[in-house]
Amino acid sequence: MIEARGLSKRYGDIVAVDDVSFAVGRGEVVGFLGPNGAGKTTIMRMLTGFLPPTDGSAKIAGHDIFEEPLAARRSVGYLPETPPLYPEMTVSAYVAYVARIKDVPRARRRAAVDRALERCGLGEVRGRVIGTLSKGFRQRVGLAQAIVHDPAVLILDEPTVGLDPLQIREIRGLIAELASPEQGDAQHTVILSTHILPEVEAICRRVILIHQGRKAIDAPLEELTRGGHSLDEVFARETTRDVAEASPAAAGNAPDAVMGSGEGPA
Amino acid sequence: MKHVASVAGRELRGLFVSPVAYVVLALFSVAAGIFFFASTALFSEWVMRLTSYQAFDELARWNLNDQLIGQFYSSMSVILMLATPALTMGLLASEKTNGTEELLLTSPLTIWEIVLGKFVAVAFFTAALVTIIGLFPALLFVYGDPELGKTLSGLLGLLLISWTYVSIGLFASSLTRSLVIAFLLTFVFLIVMLILPALGQLGGASGSAELLTWISADTHLTQLVGGLIDTADLAYFAVMIGSFLVLTKASVESARWR
Repeated sequence: MIEARGLSKRYGDIVAVDDVSFAVGRGEVVGFLGPNGAGKTTIMRMLTGFLPPTDGSAKIAGHDIFEEPLAARRSVGYLPETPPLYPEMTVSAYVAYVARIKDVPRARRRAAVDRALERCGLGEVRGRVIGTLSKGFRQRVGLAQAIVHDPAVLILDEPTVGLDPLQIREIRGLIAELASPEQGDAQHTVILSTHILPEVEAICRRVILIHQGRKAIDAPLEELTRGGHSLDEVFARETTRDVAEASPAAAGNAPDAVMGSGEGPA
Repeated sequence: MKHVASVAGRELRGLFVSPVAYVVLALFSVAAGIFFFASTALFSEWVMRLTSYQAFDELARWNLNDQLIGQFYSSMSVILMLATPALTMGLLASEKTNGTEELLLTSPLTIWEIVLGKFVAVAFFTAALVTIIGLFPALLFVYGDPELGKTLSGLLGLLLISWTYVSIGLFASSLTRSLVIAFLLTFVFLIVMLILPALGQLGGASGSAELLTWISADTHLTQLVGGLIDTADLAYFAVMIGSFLVLTKASVESARWR
């Protein structure tokens, strides 16, 4: 479903992402893990077609992001770090607008909007103006926007950041449901980024750890935690080792900061 | 190009949900009323004076189109110029501040569809403003007999000049994420364009004066207000609007490569 080959992004001399390759199959839920500033968002932006890579390319559902950009974008649902919302629109008008620009055929549009609103639990606020909604609801509108055209691939950038524990549980449940729906609905391939480790343990079956723009680990979750290692330990080991090589001074602080955010609500 | 209508529709609805559209419509109508009243009052005062001076030769050359409607149109072209930055500043700049740029650029839309959709939305709105302008000369047809052709060609000129202003404003909005900067850029650009012919006259060199006069949109509006529909003037508006739309597209595109 997703095939990235040698993705790189450089801004002048700064290398944000360096030669990252991976493949994700249908129905997989992959967690993009890494400290803040590791390049997770940049990789996601390249996959969705928002940023053109400096080097390398990617295929989404068989469509090359350079050669068939529109077809590739049609197959992706994307929830950026800040949900891309128009505050003056109502929830249902907004999701209907997204359905239009994502090429949902006219005949199926109303049903697609209703289904997306229902799945994200937005039924009772569908007539509300987005600007008046709470953060949790906005995040859900962002998710509804990402799934309204029933894309083969879902790319979610920190989907649970800033939510309360109850909302986090709901969103995680929804993501799990999207990856392996009970019946009728298409199976989605999901990539989500996070720095909350319990989140990965809760919904992902595979982990790609990004550190300093490079892919540090790409393995199934069970393999990483085999032998009694917790994901915390793996994460700390990988992110300190490279930092230590790069700049010894930063080595002492980095893992603490990372672990601090790892204590998020489970 | 099927998405142009979707983008334009959302943009127009956005204008009418926010107070901007109503404020502009209301202030614009008030301004049009005041300027129309002033033009009419001035016209009748001059006619009375010329009559009392018995300047019948002069009076014979006076008509409603050149001395009243034309004056009114050129005043309103300045008001259109002042209203444009308020309408266009947010077109692309607010997509950046809202983060909705990420939605647009990751959707199966071409950049042309985004740019044209935005342009069409405000072009519709300024067409409504020009319609308001047209209501006032329509009154004169009840009480007098202005030339229909001249009156309409003037309105066409106002429509084209407003679209030129919109394409410039759209381009300014693509350059920045700040609404204030987009507003000021548009405003300054339009003012400079208005005074270009005067600047040209200061220079002395006749070649540059001609060029500067040609660049100014006002020159071509004057032709149309005078009832002269020349292909060269229509081509001028087409070139201006087209170039700024192309510039806008290039600017949106290049922002992603930086």
